[in-house]
Amino acid sequence: MKGLAPLFLGIFGTFAFSWVGLTLIPNWQIGHLDPQMEEDGSDAYPQPQSGMVERGRRVYAANGCIYCHSQQVRADYAGADIERKWGDRRSAPRDYIFERPVFLGKMRMGQDLSNIGARAPKEEENAPASPAGAASPATSPAPQGGAAAPPASSAAPSGANPSPPTKAGSPLPGAPPPKATTSSPPGGSPPAAAGSPTAASASSAPPATGAAPAGSPGQQPAAAPPSSPAPPGANQNPSPTNAGSPAQNPSPAAAAPPAKSTSAPSASPAPSMPASPGPNAPRASPSPAAAANASPAAGAPWPVQTSGEPPMYSAAWQHRHLYSPRSINVDSNMPSYRFLYQTRRITDAPSDDALKLTGSEAPPEGWEIVPTYDAKCLVAYLMSLNQSHPLKEVRSAAPAAPAQSPAAPSASPAPPK
Amino acid sequence: MNASGIPLKEPSVSAAAADAEQVERALIDASTRVPVLMFYASAMAWLIIGTLLAGFVSFKLHTPDLFSDISFLTWGRVRPAHMNVMVYGWASMAGIGTAIWLMARLCRTVLRYPLLLVAGAGFWNLGVLLGVGGILLGDSTGYQWLEFPHYAAIILFVAYTLIASWAVLMFRFRRGEQIYITQWYLLGAFLWFPWLYAAGQLMLFVVPVQGVLQSAVGWWYANNLLFLWFGAIGLGTAYYMIPKVIGRPVYSYHLATIGFWTYALFSSWTGMQRLVDGPFPAWMVTASIAATILTIIPVATVGLNHHMTMQGYFPLLRYSPTLRFTVFGAISYTVFSVVGVLISLRSVARYVNFTQASIAYSHLGLYAFFTMVIFGSMYYIVPRLVGREWRYASLIKLHFWASVYGIGLMTLMLLAGGFLQGENMENPSLAFSETTETVLPYLRGRSLAGILLTASHFIFAYHFGLMLFGLGRTSTVPTFLNPVEAEGPETHL
Repeated sequence: MKGLAPLFLGIFGTFAFSWVGLTLIPNWQIGHLDPQMEEDGSDAYPQPQSGMVERGRRVYAANGCIYCHSQQVRADYAGADIERKWGDRRSAPRDYIFERPVFLGKMRMGQDLSNIGARAPKEEENAPASPAGAASPATSPAPQGGAAAPPASSAAPSGANPSPPTKAGSPLPGAPPPKATTSSPPGGSPPAAAGSPTAASASSAPPATGAAPAGSPGQQPAAAPPSSPAPPGANQNPSPTNAGSPAQNPSPAAAAPPAKSTSAPSASPAPSMPASPGPNAPRASPSPAAAANASPAAGAPWPVQTSGEPPMYSAAWQHRHLYSPRSINVDSNMPSYRFLYQTRRITDAPSDDALKLTGSEAPPEGWEIVPTYDAKCLVAYLMSLNQSHPLKEVRSAAPAAPAQSPAAPSASPAPPK
Repeated sequence: MNASGIPLKEPSVSAAAADAEQVERALIDASTRVPVLMFYASAMAWLIIGTLLAGFVSFKLHTPDLFSDISFLTWGRVRPAHMNVMVYGWASMAGIGTAIWLMARLCRTVLRYPLLLVAGAGFWNLGVLLGVGGILLGDSTGYQWLEFPHYAAIILFVAYTLIASWAVLMFRFRRGEQIYITQWYLLGAFLWFPWLYAAGQLMLFVVPVQGVLQSAVGWWYANNLLFLWFGAIGLGTAYYMIPKVIGRPVYSYHLATIGFWTYALFSSWTGMQRLVDGPFPAWMVTASIAATILTIIPVATVGLNHHMTMQGYFPLLRYSPTLRFTVFGAISYTVFSVVGVLISLRSVARYVNFTQASIAYSHLGLYAFFTMVIFGSMYYIVPRLVGREWRYASLIKLHFWASVYGIGLMTLMLLAGGFLQGENMENPSLAFSETTETVLPYLRGRSLAGILLTASHFIFAYHFGLMLFGLGRTSTVPTFLNPVEAEGPETHL
């Protein structure tokens, strides 16, 4: 080859071609998306996040969570993500318009996190300021209440999803669902709040099918802790402590994690309970028919681990999972993030934030383990991950059941199978 | 490190004085000594650091409770630290070292402006040091392959500008009209990298693009870094070393032209295939998959060219360390590309997306291909800089076989584990934790491979250290892997 000019031109030309083609044109095509809104400007999705969440995003980046966790749900034809209940629709560019950096991820040594916030029990949203603080008081009484009510376990199988709707059938459990409904709008975390009221209403819609079995046992946990934040928690907890732990603990390694929906129809619905009531309502609960007919689909939407006391995916659960992943799932491969927690001497009274740990994990007498501010931000960030809001450009996994409340835009039920 | 700081023996100009061309070459080599050795020595230090980090990462992945109290040793920080040390510390610095030497030789002029390079090496080291420190202290940007915090990125860019401007200046002083194949690749690499790096930094940090496009820019950057920076330097080096060592010209100049331009055109369009099924317009991913498939053309032409050049000279692999490493690297380039095509096909990507297979792919490119070619070039270049020959043939052999078995085992483990992991992930009746459990035995195998690679790197570092401190053999005959039985060896060996 003679002369530099053609060489230079070629080198620049080929690269400019790629640069324009793969970055500039896509930027022109999808680089300036706006949030989706109703015509009157309401119900905007997605929304910018609070400062605490943004700080949590930095913590997520700094500690390399992206190297094991993706945040994208593939379409049903492209992967099993939706069947794994990681979301009820595929992710779309619009879901990420406020994310910087964006954590799509390339590796799944851990679960996909795009909807982990959507799986949280509803009462979490009461706690805008400090998820950890609000969560622990809510949850700590609950386990005892649940434990004191053995029959609650029987409710679990069929009651997993229908239990919130039982407000029609049974007086006492009637308390939790309103709680959920009223608690969600406060808007502690805007995007979640957008979807949550609909979730609550959707979950109340599927009526009597499962209500009968769920109703009677459901009363007992609710009766035990009458305090206001507790009922939802109590509603969730009985099953892990009663049905869940005896059934699973004998062989935690083998039995507990596979308690995913299809593996053990008879056993798995029980542990499903902690996870489902509020958050799963949008996608899991609207399948009451499925609950009755195809028990696998009615089972736990998320893999449920051994008897964790905080309700799954609540803030308290997240903290405990970050601090000691293997206390929740013995098979977990996740490193623990103890450096985000602080062991300190209890000065006056135990902190509300303190982690509830048992066994060898527990701090010595007179000491407590509390999350640092970074840990709280990280959990706030995780709780904000929620792509359950429908997008016009994306087909949800299954057409909304006609029986669902038409007002509920998020009522996009999970496929029965 | 300066010219007089190290007890180096001057290259033996007089020994080869019979031939005027030999003298000229020796003078050129002598002029490149300080900058190239500076890059090589830094690269070796980073290689050792990166290897130790890699071992830690690998073990911690199947032993998650190791050191979990210490923030800067958490897996999610050490992993990007390892990757950045290897990419920017080891591979880039060693590649630049080789490129400088090749540039001076091929421009047939003594190295001008060495200060530019010395300053460049200094800044580069500083940039990598700050960047890795920043990652370990929790300052990572969160973009894969671009984790260095902005203060480190700026220093790295300054360093790079110094080096690239040197490369362009050298071209002005070149003698002879013909521009050899290697120079195309090197010039390409030196011009592509700053554009690539600047574009990546600008579009992610200065004028950030919206949402998912950050990921697109990130993978565009990562893939182009792999192909247009490391790939170009690696191929350029192979185009020089193979003909040089066996002492015959490249088989076909014409094929090489086709190979170069199709390489520049197609490989720069890859990258989006890593985002397959993600939240992107389908055409982006499809375009990259098509481009990945089209890279078969440059792979075939380059592979054919090298093979035809080697035709009849394969027995030399028995003797020449350089040839052995380089040919292994050139073969790995073909394997790397074929694996890249396979895992980019949508039907396969469905399974291997989000699994360890993508790690296997990166290691094939950065280690089996690029690093092995660079090892080969170092075996050729270092003796010409320090005026000594490699001391122990046995150490070279150990280095070679430990590397080959190490990277082979690692690739197989990660590919097989990745496929199984993906298959289980696609089966929703299996709990998710089973998919990770499936791959754990393979990750233990990977750790075993890591031990082999660690051994090979320590052997090489020791041997390199001996050379650096003037403890090589004084001999006019290069070190052969095996004693040469027949008549005199190739003079260039």
